[in-house]
Amino acid sequence: MKALRALSRTKLYWGLLIICLVGALTSPHSSSGSNIFLSYGNLTDVLRQVSITGLVATGMTMVILLGGIDLSVGSVMGFSTIICAMLLTKSGWTAASVIGVPAATAVSCAAVAFLARFVFSGLARGRDVSAGRRRESALGPWRSVRIPTLLGLLAAIVVAWFTASQVQTKFGVLGVLLVTPCVALLLGSINGFLIVAGRLQPFIATLAMMVSALGIGRLTAGQDNAVVAVYTGTNATEAFEALRSMLWGVVPVPSVFFLAAIVLFGAILRFTTFGRYAYAIGGNIEAAKLSGIKVAQVQFTAYLLSGLLAGIAGVLFVAQYRQGKPDAGGGLELDAIAAVVIGGTSLMGGRGGLAGTFVGVLIFGLLSDILQLQNIDSNVQLLMKGLIIVCTVLVQEQNLGQLIARWRLRPSLQGGADHETAESHRPPSAARAQFATEDLDEAS
Amino acid sequence: METHFGAPSAHDGRCTPEKSRALGVGRRTGSSSPSGHIVLVAEHVSKSFAGVTALHDVDFDLSHGEVHALMGENGAGKSTLMKILAGVHTRYEGAIKVEGRAVSFGGVRDAEEAGVAIIHQELNLVPELSVADNIFLGREPLVAGVLVNRRRMVRAAERLLQRLGVKIDPETRVAELRVGEQQLVEIAKALSLDTRILIMDEPTSALSSSECKTLFKIVRQLAGDGVAIVYTSHRIEEVLELADRVTVLRDGRRVVTAPIGELSRGAIISAMVGREMAAYHRGTVAQNGAIILSVRNLTLDTLSPRGWRRTLHGVSFQLRRGEILGIGGLLGSGRTEILESIFGVVRGWRGGDTIIDGATVDIKSPADAYRLGVALVTEDRKERGLHLAASICDNVALPSIGAMSQFGLRTFARESALAADVVSRLSVRCTGIRQAAAALSGGNQQKIVIGKWLATEPRILLLDEPTRGIDVGAKQEIYRLIFDLAAQGLGILVVTSEMPELLLLSDRILVMCEGRQTGVLRREDAAQETVMRLAAPGMAAQSWNAPS
Repeated sequence: MKALRALSRTKLYWGLLIICLVGALTSPHSSSGSNIFLSYGNLTDVLRQVSITGLVATGMTMVILLGGIDLSVGSVMGFSTIICAMLLTKSGWTAASVIGVPAATAVSCAAVAFLARFVFSGLARGRDVSAGRRRESALGPWRSVRIPTLLGLLAAIVVAWFTASQVQTKFGVLGVLLVTPCVALLLGSINGFLIVAGRLQPFIATLAMMVSALGIGRLTAGQDNAVVAVYTGTNATEAFEALRSMLWGVVPVPSVFFLAAIVLFGAILRFTTFGRYAYAIGGNIEAAKLSGIKVAQVQFTAYLLSGLLAGIAGVLFVAQYRQGKPDAGGGLELDAIAAVVIGGTSLMGGRGGLAGTFVGVLIFGLLSDILQLQNIDSNVQLLMKGLIIVCTVLVQEQNLGQLIARWRLRPSLQGGADHETAESHRPPSAARAQFATEDLDEAS
Repeated sequence: METHFGAPSAHDGRCTPEKSRALGVGRRTGSSSPSGHIVLVAEHVSKSFAGVTALHDVDFDLSHGEVHALMGENGAGKSTLMKILAGVHTRYEGAIKVEGRAVSFGGVRDAEEAGVAIIHQELNLVPELSVADNIFLGREPLVAGVLVNRRRMVRAAERLLQRLGVKIDPETRVAELRVGEQQLVEIAKALSLDTRILIMDEPTSALSSSECKTLFKIVRQLAGDGVAIVYTSHRIEEVLELADRVTVLRDGRRVVTAPIGELSRGAIISAMVGREMAAYHRGTVAQNGAIILSVRNLTLDTLSPRGWRRTLHGVSFQLRRGEILGIGGLLGSGRTEILESIFGVVRGWRGGDTIIDGATVDIKSPADAYRLGVALVTEDRKERGLHLAASICDNVALPSIGAMSQFGLRTFARESALAADVVSRLSVRCTGIRQAAAALSGGNQQKIVIGKWLATEPRILLLDEPTRGIDVGAKQEIYRLIFDLAAQGLGILVVTSEMPELLLLSDRILVMCEGRQTGVLRREDAAQETVMRLAAPGMAAQSWNAPS
C-alpha cells in the first residue's frame, strides 16, 4: 500500500521514464550503430526546443496556481519578438524603440524603487523577529519612500541613457534583453490591473490582451503579417548569435534560461511568502483574504511575471528562428496550459507546482522528438498530443479515484439505472438541491 | 379526495388540452377542517450528519388542508425534517407515508411525483428566464417532441398566477420581480406540479409586511383548496395567525405537537428554548477591564440586486478586556455583519466609528484588522476559514507568515513551531502538523481556524458561530478555550444561534433584530425568553438597555 502510494505520487516521473524508454527502444540507429534518441545532440535539441514553451509555462503555472489563466502569453511573446527584432535590425527612433525606451525606463524605476523598499523593510524586520505579536514595523519616510524613490529615479536615468544611446546605432544583446522583457512585463501588468482593479475575469481580461497584443504587434511592425528577419552579422549584431549557441558547448543557451526560470520560480513558490500566498489564494481565496493576505497584490504580481517570462521567451524566439513576427506565439498559450495541466497543476488553483510543469514540458518535447525520429506525420503528432493530455489528466489521482468511486457507488443508489435517467431531465433547481444533499451540509 | 389542479403533469412533460383546461378550475370548494384525513405521516425519523444528530426519532403528521407550522431554534432540525419530507435528504432512518402508502424518495423528483413540493428559503429560480419559463422549467409543453410550445406555456402560467390571484406577467424576467413576487412564482411552480403537500421554509423571511399579507391570503386559500402545508417561520405572531397546528422541535427532537388554540405564545417560546444548558460555568468575571473596543453608531448599507439596503441601523457597544460580549438574534438579523464590519470584509458603505484602545481606526481590509490585533473566526470554516487541501501547518501559519518572514523568505522552522504550539495548546487531535486540514473532524478543524488567529496574538477576537456543526464534547472544549482566552485579557465578541450557548458564554448580550440593536442585557438579567422576545420581529415593543 505504501509502495502504491509512493508510486502514485511519483507517477508523473514514471510517465517521463516510460516515454524515454519508448524513445530509446524505437529509435533508429545511426550508421555507426549508436542510438540516435539517446545521443547527446538529440537530447539537448529537445531541451532547446521546449525552452520557449517552457518559459511561458513557468509563468502560466503561477497564474494557474492562483486560480487564474493567462491567454495572452502567446500574443505578448509575438509582440516581444517584433520589439526585439526591430531593435536589433533598425536604427533610429522606430516604433519599437519609441515603445521600448520609455517602457524600460519606467519599469526599471519601479523595480529598483520596489527592491530598495523591500530590502529596507527586510533589514528592519531582521531586528524585531523575536517572539510576541509581530506587526509590520513602520519604516520612516526616508526608508519607505524617499530613498527608494531616489534610487528608482537614478535607475531610470541610467537605463534611459543606456537605451537611448543604443537607439542611434542598433541595440546590442544586453539592450534587447533589458528592453523586451520590460515591454512584455508592462502588458502583463495591464492584465493584472484589469483583473485586480477592474474585477474582470482572468479569462476575459487576458483574452482581450491576446487579441490586442497581436494588433499592437502588427501595428508596430508596420504591415500585416510582417516578418522582421534578423541576420546576425549582416543586419544585426553578431553577438546576438550567442543566444542560440551552446553555453560552453554543454547546454543550449535558451535551455539555460528555461532551467534558471524553473529553479528560480520553483524556489520562489517554495521558499517565499509570495509562493505560499499563491497556493493559499488558489486553494481558498476567501480564506486567504480573511487571513489578511493582500490578494490583489499577489494576483497582480503573478500576471506581471507571466508577461515578463513571455517577453524573455520572445527574445529567445528571435535568436532561435532568426525572425520576429506578430503571430510567433500562435497557440503557444494553449501549449503552455497543456504542459501545466499534465504537470498536475489543477486549473482550479491551489495544487501543483513547477516540478510538474517541468516534466509536462519535457513529455511534450520528447514525444514530438520520438515521432519526428519515426518520420510520423505532424498531424498525427497533434493527435498524439491531445491523447497525452487526456490520458495524463485522467490518471491524476483524484480524477481516476472519483470515477472509480462513482462506478462503485452506482449499484447502491436506489432505482439503479432508472434513477440515472430520471436524473438527466430533472429541472436544474432540483438537481442542485440533490447535489447539496448528503452528509456534507450542516444540520440546520 | 383526489384533487386535480396541476398544470401539465410531471409524468409526460407535456401539456395536453384536457389538463390545460383543468388549470385553474380544479379548485376545491368548501372549507376543509384541520381534522381532515391524514395525508402524510413520518414515523421515528432520525438523521445525523457526520456523527452529529440532527433529528432524533421524530414523528410528524399532516392533515388534508391544514397549515402545520414547524418551529424551533436554528439547528433544532426543522430544515432537516423538511428536506427529508421533500426528498432532498434521501438517507435517514424511519418511515414516511403519503396517503397511507409507504414512500422512499430517491430524490426531489420522486417527491414531486408523489405530490410533495418544497419552496426553499433561498429561492431556486433562474433570474434571466421569464416567469413562465421558470414555472415549467424542465417540463415545458412541447410541439412535436422538440419545440417548446411557448404560447401554451405562457397561458398555463397565466392561469396558475390567476389562480393565486396575483398580477404578474408570465413573460417578465424573474430578475425584475420583487422577492415577494418571486416567492409567488415558486408557489405557482409548486402548484403546476399537482402538489398536494407544500413545504415552505421561512417564506416570509425576506418579505415586506404587505407582501406577507398577500402570501398569507394565498396560503389560506391553498389550504382551503385542500393542500396540506408545512410552514416554518421564526415569527411567532405569524404562526399564531396562520397555522392550524404547531410542532415544536428542539435539539432534533419533537417537544410538542398541538392545535394552535392550545398553545400560547409563551408556551411556544419556552418549548423552543427550554432545554437545560450544558453544565459548564464560568468563574467570576472581572467587569472592570479597560475598554478595548468601542463601536459607535455602526451602520451598514449593502448593495442587493434591488438596490441599496440598510443592513445595520446604528449599532453601538463597548467591549472590555477580558469580557465576552455575546451577540444574539435570528439568522439575517445583522449579527455576522457586525463582526465583518469591524474586521473590514463587508462590501458596502459603512458608517459610524470604531475605536480601539481609545484611538479611532479605519479598518478597510483584513490586513488592517490584523495589524490592529483584531481576529475573525468565520462562521463557515470550510468555505471561508480553511484551505482544506493544505496541511495544518500551512493553515495555521497563513496569517502569520508575512510577519515571520524576512526578505520575503519563509521561516519553515518557525512556522512548524507555531503550528505545533497551536496543536498542543488547543489539544487538536491529529496525526501531525503535516496532516491535511480536510482529514480532521469538524471540531478539530474549528480549533485550527481559531488557532491560526491565536497565533497572531490578537487582542480582540471575533467569533462567528464557533461551535456550529461540531459535537458536544468538542463544544465543551471550545467553550473552555474561549473562557481561557477571556481570562488572558482578550476582548471577545461571540455570535451564536444557540440560545443556551449564548447565555453560557456571554458576560453581556447584545440582541439584534432586523439590523437593529434591540437590547443589551447583563448576564444576570438575561433569560432565554427575554432574549427571544427581543430577537423576534414585531415583538420588541420596548427595548432593554443595560448600562455597559
